[in-house]
Amino acid sequence: MDEASHAIVVSGLTKVFRQKTAVDSLSFRIARGRFFGFLGPNGAGKSTTIKMLTGLLRPTSGDASIEGHPISGNLLEIKKIIGVLPEELPLYERLTGEEYLHFAGRMYGLSAAETRRRTDELLEFLSLAEDRGTLLLDYSQGMKKKVALAAALIHNPRVVFLDEPLNGIDPISGRIVTDLLRRMAQKGVTLFFTTHVLDVVERLCDEVAIIDRGHIVAQGSLDEIRAQRAVGQDASLEDVFLKLVDADVRRQDLTWIG
Amino acid sequence: MDRLIALVACRWRMDLRRLLGARERAFGLLFFVPGALVFSALGSMIVFGVFRGLEGTEPELVLPMASAAATGIGLFWAASPLLAGVVLSEAADVSRLMHFPIPLSTLAVSSLVANLAQPAALAEAPILVAAAAAVAGVNAIRFPAALLGVALTFVLILACAQVAGLLLHGLSRQRRLHDILLFLGLAAGLLLSLAPLLLLTSGPGGLATVAHALSARDVFMASPYAWGVRAAIHAGRGQAVPAVAYGLLATAAIGGAMAASAGLVQGIQRGHIAMGGGAVRSRRPSRMALPGALGALVEKDLRLAWRDPGLRAVLVMGLAGSIVVLFFLSRGGPSLASGTPVLLLASFVGVSTFGSNALGMERRGIALLLLFPVDRWRVLVGKNLAALTFRLPSLLTLALATVFLAPPTYVPAAATIAVLTLMLSAGVDNYMSILFPMAVPGAAANPYGRAAARGRGLGAAAVSLMLLVLALVLSSPFAFLAWLPALLGRPWLWAATLPLGLAGAACVYAMLVAGAARLMEKREPEILERVLVEA
Repeated sequence: MDEASHAIVVSGLTKVFRQKTAVDSLSFRIARGRFFGFLGPNGAGKSTTIKMLTGLLRPTSGDASIEGHPISGNLLEIKKIIGVLPEELPLYERLTGEEYLHFAGRMYGLSAAETRRRTDELLEFLSLAEDRGTLLLDYSQGMKKKVALAAALIHNPRVVFLDEPLNGIDPISGRIVTDLLRRMAQKGVTLFFTTHVLDVVERLCDEVAIIDRGHIVAQGSLDEIRAQRAVGQDASLEDVFLKLVDADVRRQDLTWIG
Repeated sequence: MDRLIALVACRWRMDLRRLLGARERAFGLLFFVPGALVFSALGSMIVFGVFRGLEGTEPELVLPMASAAATGIGLFWAASPLLAGVVLSEAADVSRLMHFPIPLSTLAVSSLVANLAQPAALAEAPILVAAAAAVAGVNAIRFPAALLGVALTFVLILACAQVAGLLLHGLSRQRRLHDILLFLGLAAGLLLSLAPLLLLTSGPGGLATVAHALSARDVFMASPYAWGVRAAIHAGRGQAVPAVAYGLLATAAIGGAMAASAGLVQGIQRGHIAMGGGAVRSRRPSRMALPGALGALVEKDLRLAWRDPGLRAVLVMGLAGSIVVLFFLSRGGPSLASGTPVLLLASFVGVSTFGSNALGMERRGIALLLLFPVDRWRVLVGKNLAALTFRLPSLLTLALATVFLAPPTYVPAAATIAVLTLMLSAGVDNYMSILFPMAVPGAAANPYGRAAARGRGLGAAAVSLMLLVLALVLSSPFAFLAWLPALLGRPWLWAATLPLGLAGAACVYAMLVAGAARLMEKREPEILERVLVEA
């Protein structure tokens, strides 16, 4: 595939915090319209990678481009075409859900009428209409996640970064959200998705990259990874994941228990 | 006892780490430590002098005055935003420990003992010793007894502050009530802190009136804060029976406060203290009214400020600041007819946007704001416009003051000077916010806590001073232009000089914002990293 057909191209991306290398020479490409799962244990470098790709962190070295716009260039151009759902939700908690979506729409340059129309649709879609006038402070964690997701989608982004989007969301809303994301991918939106829930990745993602201690240890479709790592075709993603990150899960019993 | 020691040691270890790891420790060593020492020394001298003086001249006033002072200080500590913040944070810590099998009384006492080692509490120790020495002299028996008495009052002050913090924590389940109480607490703290200032400036007559009112009716005798101090005074006078009686009362009050703390911790944890219905749900439409990205930014800040008790208190305090300055200006000094007080007040109001900390006020919202594809100059202008709007009450005060302090024709000039200084101070402060970003602590957050704001460091303090001077220097030619007709005695010239002054200041402001926006684009990741770590 040529570079123009890729939504995200990452080349030698590195981030060093003081002496600690959080992300080490990452390189990968994601084609347009792919549902890309980015997996790894805690502290592997997933959120750092997302922050660099969305312009919230400056890489120590390397570069990346989103829809052809380099992250070392004009970040505003990138921010116009991406939607981001961060893992920690830095919402303005003393705005109501509806005010917050109106604010996000204006920030993305939508007209007042279009912002209102999309806000109403999003609130209905995500079952938040009953709480449109409630302060975000009074929202549950799952509701906050949904409103943050709505803000990330209000401007019809071409690439969406989702950091643990299903944390704290109830199963019904989770299903609504995953169905929506799947349909977005079918319409050509590229989704960059991190989660610890591996069965969701198995269900949704076309392609997966597994990162461990700042390095990508495997990338491809699940079948390709299974084949690369010589695990059986019936092996679950959890088995593959544990093998790839070299996780030692065997432990002795605690001496004082029982 | 082992648990109590472990809890207190753990808390002290964390406090020490926080102090040693703080970025502003050099600043603290250079300013806060000498400041605290000077405060202790001055406080000790004043307390000693006042006690000895009263004991010598009007001994009947000692008990009522000391009782009133102890009560005022106690209420101030309970209501003070700073200390309420500390105890609130402690209260949250205490409730986090609830799942351990620790007796509630041990939890409450550990928090109280640990609070005794806070810098603010340690700075009071010499004052307590001075008070005891003043009432008892160097008598080997009376002095320890008097010291015990004043110490009982001080411990009760801390214990009551802890109860207030826990109560606030309990009320946090009912957000609106919590917000109102926090706002009222901040306002009460401000008024209490202004009260001695106003009393002192009212001259000997005012003090005498208060003293006689207090001595005529010893109303604060019933205040638990007064009991320890009264025990100390009686001990100092060698009156053993009332000293012991008040000492026992003070001890019982401390016990009561501890019991109340323990009860509150339990009530909060088990949900017994359900003070309200929790979240306030609403399906009413709530749309943003102002158009465009700039309008949305301003409206967002205004709504957040109005709904956040801490930020709303900033508005009130800004207003109170100009009223206090006005109070002093109105007490003579420069000639009123010259209009100099108005000029000074206008400059004071104008420079108040310096330190408005545009980006730090966002706290964690900064990550959100910088994700939006909005020109950075719009972000800065939006934040500055909101900061200017917050100063409208001060501008109104200025306009009203001008009518009383100078000829009414001075009002447009004073308002113009205030507005252009506001504008340029905000424009210069953008650089401070970008170069040394610092998250503002949330309402009622522990100001000493790592999660709350840290200082910007010594270098930043020096740069801040330089930038403040720069803001004044940049404003001065335009302020001079606005004031020129007054100096020449030709008011009709204002028709030309005021628009000229404003236009000139607007041009300089535009240049400042353009430069700041460019700098911000370059430093965005650093700003984010710094504010997010602190917020």
